[in-house]
Amino acid sequence: MKILVGVKRVLDYNVKARVKADKSGIELANVKMAMNPFDEIAVEEALRIKEAGNAEEVIAVSIGPAKSEETIRTALAMGADRGILIQTDELLEPLAVAKLLKHIVEKEQPGLVVLGKQAIDDDCNQTGQMLSALTGMPQATFASKVELDGDSIKVTREVDSGLESIRVKSPAVITADLRLNEPRYAKLPNIMKAKKKPLEVIEVADTGVDVSSGLSVVEVNEPEQRQAGVIVGSVAELVDKLRNEAKVI
Amino acid sequence: MSTLILAEHEAGELRPATLSVVAAAAAIGNDIAMLVAGSNCAGVGEKAAALPGVSKVLVADDAAYEHELAENLSALVVSVAGDYTHILFAATAAGKNVMPRVAALLDVSGISDITEVKSADTFIRPIYAGNAMATVKSDDAKKIITVRTTAFDAVSDTGGSAAVESVASAGANDGVEFVGAELSSSDRPELTSAGIVVSGGRGMQNGENFAMLDEIALKLNAAVGASRAAVDAGFVPNEYQVGQTGKVVAPDLYIAVGISGAIQHLAGMKDSKVIVAINKDEEAPIFQVADYGLVADLFDAVPELSKALDA
Amino acid sequence: MSYQAPVRDISFVLNHVVGLADIAKLDGYEDATPEMVEAILDASAQFTGEVLAPLNWVGDQQGSQWSEAGVTTPDGWQEAYQQFIENGWGSLAFSVEYGGQGLPMCVAASVQEMWHSANMSFGLCPLLSQGAVDAIEHHASDELKAMFLPKMVEGVWSGTMNLTEPQAGSDLAAVRTSAEPEGDHFRIKGQKIFITYGDHDLTENIIHLVLARLPDAPEGVKGISLFIVPKFLINEDGSLGERNDVRCVSLEHKMGIHASPTCVMAYGDDAGALGYLVGKPHHGLIYMFTMMNQARHAVGVEGYGIAERAYQQALSFAKDRKQGKTLLGKSDDDHGIVNHPDVRRILMTMRCNIEAMRGLALECAAAFDIAGKHPDENVRVFNQRRGELLTPLVKGWSTEIGLELCSLGVQVHGGMGFIEETGAAQHLRDARIAPIYEGTTAIQANDLIGRKTARDNGQGMQELLTDMRATLTELQQSNNPDMQAVAKRFESAVGAADQSLQWMLGQNDPTLPSASSVEYLMMLGRLSGGWMSARTALVALKMKNEDGADHDYLDARVALARYYADRFLPLVDASNITITEGSESTVSLSVAQL
Ligand SMILES: Cc1cc2nc3c(=O)[nH]c(=O)nc-3n(C[C@H](O)[C@H](O)[C@H](O)COP(=O)(O)OP(=O)(O)OC[C@H]3O[C@@H](n4cnc5c(N)ncnc54)[C@H](O)[C@@H]3O)c2cc1C
Repeated sequence: MKILVGVKRVLDYNVKARVKADKSGIELANVKMAMNPFDEIAVEEALRIKEAGNAEEVIAVSIGPAKSEETIRTALAMGADRGILIQTDELLEPLAVAKLLKHIVEKEQPGLVVLGKQAIDDDCNQTGQMLSALTGMPQATFASKVELDGDSIKVTREVDSGLESIRVKSPAVITADLRLNEPRYAKLPNIMKAKKKPLEVIEVADTGVDVSSGLSVVEVNEPEQRQAGVIVGSVAELVDKLRNEAKVI
Repeated sequence: MSTLILAEHEAGELRPATLSVVAAAAAIGNDIAMLVAGSNCAGVGEKAAALPGVSKVLVADDAAYEHELAENLSALVVSVAGDYTHILFAATAAGKNVMPRVAALLDVSGISDITEVKSADTFIRPIYAGNAMATVKSDDAKKIITVRTTAFDAVSDTGGSAAVESVASAGANDGVEFVGAELSSSDRPELTSAGIVVSGGRGMQNGENFAMLDEIALKLNAAVGASRAAVDAGFVPNEYQVGQTGKVVAPDLYIAVGISGAIQHLAGMKDSKVIVAINKDEEAPIFQVADYGLVADLFDAVPELSKALDA
Repeated sequence: MSYQAPVRDISFVLNHVVGLADIAKLDGYEDATPEMVEAILDASAQFTGEVLAPLNWVGDQQGSQWSEAGVTTPDGWQEAYQQFIENGWGSLAFSVEYGGQGLPMCVAASVQEMWHSANMSFGLCPLLSQGAVDAIEHHASDELKAMFLPKMVEGVWSGTMNLTEPQAGSDLAAVRTSAEPEGDHFRIKGQKIFITYGDHDLTENIIHLVLARLPDAPEGVKGISLFIVPKFLINEDGSLGERNDVRCVSLEHKMGIHASPTCVMAYGDDAGALGYLVGKPHHGLIYMFTMMNQARHAVGVEGYGIAERAYQQALSFAKDRKQGKTLLGKSDDDHGIVNHPDVRRILMTMRCNIEAMRGLALECAAAFDIAGKHPDENVRVFNQRRGELLTPLVKGWSTEIGLELCSLGVQVHGGMGFIEETGAAQHLRDARIAPIYEGTTAIQANDLIGRKTARDNGQGMQELLTDMRATLTELQQSNNPDMQAVAKRFESAVGAADQSLQWMLGQNDPTLPSASSVEYLMMLGRLSGGWMSARTALVALKMKNEDGADHDYLDARVALARYYADRFLPLVDASNITITEGSESTVSLSVAQL
């Protein structure tokens, strides 16, 4: 079977996001970008499934500006076999992304689609669920463990009150949570091989997918800043302040 | 204009998150209907009918809804979506699981995690781990939304008297099957709705040391949380995690013990009313958001705090 | 005490100053395209920042430990080394034939800088292995290559360089270790000291390259041969066999690089350690010299690598530490010491020198890359001469300046800098070795005035000055006032260096040039650094006209070049005075008067 993984190029998670002066969004010029950390986990999981002999090919797909090619190369350097970039300079909503992924799913017929549970830029946490709904493939979101047994996949999910497990039938959509695995570092020889792996670039317009959206960003603002408080000298002083000043205990 | 809310419930009770979603719906200002889906959930329907502001309760009673499977719930929501202009979910693991499906099936954008209602079509939501707040406007016929429950004060659970009607099941998807759950059973308050949260980080050093926090939590009737570092290190299970990708909490008092305060953690707790930080590294970023900071070794300070709370 | 590799600064030099794109056009370097190198640098940055840097402090505190059974490295080091070789970092620059990646030296040096910044003690293990691999690859028989190289290139075996003996340090002619022929191999006996990674637990085997004398060897430098002595002998089938008669008898207690084991090695306590001759008898030192450039260059990279780490730490401290009312702070409550002008002076000094040293080291590496692969013989010869000329500058100047910068890094911290827990002191202690090993600064300077200046009668130096004058013309033609100011200083400095060169060439007695040799080395290092920083600024100014240019970053390159010119180029003129007028007084006291 083939596995499709989604990889998004986002602001590096170590870099603090700064709102643009004109409030139109976040400053992304000349700042370090990297693969969405949840997507790294997704790639790692796909590779492990392949290495365990349960898949033949891992395809990394990114939807975004031309530079997203680098993100795909990172996935290829980790071990994915080929890449597909659906190129657009527009910021797409998860629904449009899910529709584009569906387009690729129809073409590639993967047995499994593994995505990150959310992207750390828009923090939406929607794409996997939407892809599942649009394609009819079952979904297993927030996965912390994936066990394959033929075309039946048992997925342990992180939910608010602990863990639950479900069984889905392949083809299915899985979204990766933090503790699914620890992504590998790309190996130098593989970084070099990655350049030679096939990477297909498709323009959004050529997919025929309608990516218009009813949602628009009016403006983006800095959050209210918390004022740093006081340093107390002792536990006794702390308890006193909590009781008599803040009155919270 | 009218709003439909998908209720969340457990052991015959509405989850507190749902009461906050009602508050968000009230802020939007429409008639409010609530959909209660479950197996043997008539009792929950009654409780939903008692919520102030809710004018209609739809009950779908079917085994298909026992385990909150997203495929089944989304099909049900779409089947009753009719003329509702707004469909609201709590931004919980369950709500996040269903909302995008409903949006996709209705071919509209989803709006995640709103923290403020500006008008019936304009909302504020955090992006970039809360380092920025986006104001978004929806021109879609239906606004499909998850609500960050800590941003809306829960409504009371009495005072309303809605009509209850039952609706047909939309059936079960056979591509997915519930296997089991390992849920933490705790008599402590639930993390996202607790009035006080005591959280531990990597500084706790191991899982056993969390007993010190449990002791304080017991005295304060607080929930216990953790940073990602502590969860990744295996000190405590995943459901303790507070942060960008874990739970978002906003209690009256948040006590961060041995937590350095990475932005991803701050994203999950910085809206708490009072923040206390105990850390021996005075440079730790957590002190920049703390109202009261104590620079001390937690292994001295926490037992001392526990004793002081007895006094 | 974290470390984030300056990928942007490194890429900037590679792409815009030393011309990586042209190197990637050379036969055999096709893979080193700018995009590929960017990906490699990013991956290396992640690895060094997340895996190597966190082990630096433990390494210092625990150090490597000796026991009868062997040397053990600090906690976490084995796992990190395992990851290091699994990820292929050790084989970066080695030839594809033996499993390496065959990347150009300028790319390898860029990655190696990160090792040394992240964890200098760790970086020494692959650094020494590289020396050993180069020696075997260039001089050993095919049979020995097949026996040792694949595992060494992979990193599962490490390599060491065994030159030094108690009586033979800078003067290797005094080596006494002996080698007796026995069938197709030799028996080695003797003691080596100061052997870096002479024993450790990171690899299953250690391949020692040992300088020793054959029984019939002539006295002095012409009687030294080079041998391969594995810790474990290799069986016919390639598996590890018996333990060889070589062992580490003790570890030195050192000022710095605590985790890098510095071993006293005993060869031949029993029957003699079994060794294989590399190349021809009595050619050992010649072989050593052919690979010296590489090793010395690598230590130069270490020199500024450690300074980069010290800089990052000093900068972060300076932004946090508040003290007094600052003159440069914007608002009343902004009292970070970074806003004291003198702290700015220190940080500027660190930053502009690091960039100058990096520029020079990568320029030198690029020259060797071209020298190795360019189709035109003349271009190859020219670049080989250039690379060899710059090598003693990269080693001598960068390690001396790197050390000074680490000391400045401590100064930024005030009292906290002197306190070990802060970590700033470790960089200073670690940096202290770089101007000593792999040939002290004086030995580099001897090389510079001898082989690299006198022997070709100043040809290489004249070629360098000609290139510098071309840059000078560009600076003079720029209408940017900063470039004009740099041009003024640079013109004067180039003239001063030319005068010193003429003085050197005009001396008959070697005593006076020797007295000023280090001054001459530092002078040329500073001048070449200024040249690199001026070239960087000129490129930056051009790039400002491009669409979407990051003016902030580009302007900073110009400002750094300006500061470097104002603060450090005048020292070149001062050195010229010291050299041409002060050499006699340097040696004017008798030993009794000292
Ligand atoms: C931590 C550490 C690791 C090392 N690792 C290795 C290793 O792996 N393998 C190895 O073989 N060696 C190693 N060495 C040895 C190192 O290369 C020598 O210490 C170095 O070359 C200097 O030799 P020396 O110590 O004998 O000093 P000396 O040669 O005794 O020098 C003392 C002083 O005299 C000066 N001097 C000597 N000769 C001249 C001259 N001709 N002109 C001008 N000045 C001169 C020197 O510059 C120096 O200032 C290591 C040393 C250390 C401390």
